[in-house]
Amino acid sequence: MKLDPVTLATPFFILAIVLEIVLARLGRARAAYEPRDTAASLLMGLGSTAAGLVTGGLAAAAALYAYQHRLFDIPMTALWAWVVIFLLEDLTYYWFHRLSHERRIWWAAHVNHHSSQHYNLSTALRQTWTGGVAGTWALWLPLAFLGFPPAMIAIQKGISLVYQFWIHTEAIGRTPRWFEAVFNTPSHHRVHHARNPRYLDRNYAGILIVWDKLFGTFQPELDEEPCRYGIVKNLGDFNLLRVAFHEWAGMARDVAAHPRHALGYIFGRPGWSHDGSRDTSRSLRADWAARALSAEESPPP
Amino acid sequence: MSQSFFIQFGASLAAVAALVALAAWAKIAKPMTPLTDERARTLLEQEFPGRRLERIWVAVDGRGALAKSGAAALVLCEVGDGYVARHIPWGQAVASSFRDGVLRLDLSDVAAPLARLALLNWPPSPEPRAA
Repeated sequence: MKLDPVTLATPFFILAIVLEIVLARLGRARAAYEPRDTAASLLMGLGSTAAGLVTGGLAAAAALYAYQHRLFDIPMTALWAWVVIFLLEDLTYYWFHRLSHERRIWWAAHVNHHSSQHYNLSTALRQTWTGGVAGTWALWLPLAFLGFPPAMIAIQKGISLVYQFWIHTEAIGRTPRWFEAVFNTPSHHRVHHARNPRYLDRNYAGILIVWDKLFGTFQPELDEEPCRYGIVKNLGDFNLLRVAFHEWAGMARDVAAHPRHALGYIFGRPGWSHDGSRDTSRSLRADWAARALSAEESPPP
Repeated sequence: MSQSFFIQFGASLAAVAALVALAAWAKIAKPMTPLTDERARTLLEQEFPGRRLERIWVAVDGRGALAKSGAAALVLCEVGDGYVARHIPWGQAVASSFRDGVLRLDLSDVAAPLARLALLNWPPSPEPRAA
């Protein structure tokens, strides 16, 4: 039997989505589903598994190569090894995710996951078709080089993905305080999917929210500022090709129009432009902070 | 590719179809009512914070709006149960094609190439100056 946590969890994913829809229909849970948006999310998930086959071999070969040149022999049967890989894989995920938001070439591969204006369990399955091409899998190679067997790394990555499924929901408000303090939760991840300037580029965590607290990217969900989901510039339709490739096409267009600034348009922050005419998450946050400050300072009429 | 992959892929496709059908049956999309001037203004202020809205035109079917803000046209369009917003030069908006009561705005953006707004007339008549 194939020991792939994502494959094993797929029936649970389907049942959980059914449950969320039915409970929302009965008015017992908070969730909104727009059929075309749902179709786009689920088909992106399905396409992602097919797209993964194209570059999966290369990623696996690279992991095996790194493992052949490993520094240590780490036994897959030792409990301590699983504890260590849990922490290291989650740390790797944090930086992978942060890079995927802060550099345009990797944002191009990741943006589809954020392009729904909904936040429900189907959004969790709205996965990339171009992650393999973007090469972000290379970030996990140091784990193999350290001596973790590639199968162990793959299993831990799968566990992380399965964990992240259930947090894509509005049906769960806040979990107990101790849990919110340590783990990534629906509340923390709602912030991550929000397009409110205050919430942009926050809460990159996979399983442990402590990385965001450690690296200064944590933002709690605030009752006074409900999350508005989607991306800064939302998509004009539900066309799957647009969902999957719009940022790649935009990047190619920018590079073709301004070849002297190609590096900036490829590796700069999303929204970077050579003449500063566009907004980045940073500039949007700065504008928001300035407006909030000026509103605080202005005397009441 | 193995036969099992195609079986798994086919079964997944059937599951996707069933889930989309369930979502359609449930009718739990966000409630969308036709835009009013006030609602359009609120949404545009949310999308373009700090921009002054000089004039605003709400589509006759309430599915979008357009506002003049200095040299820019702020465009708001319904997509599914949400909205998409962009800004384009005002001159470009004024020169956009208007036929059969529909204004077609080229947004020059791969992510949202075109916006269509049902309006009574276009381009707008100049705003009367205060005496």
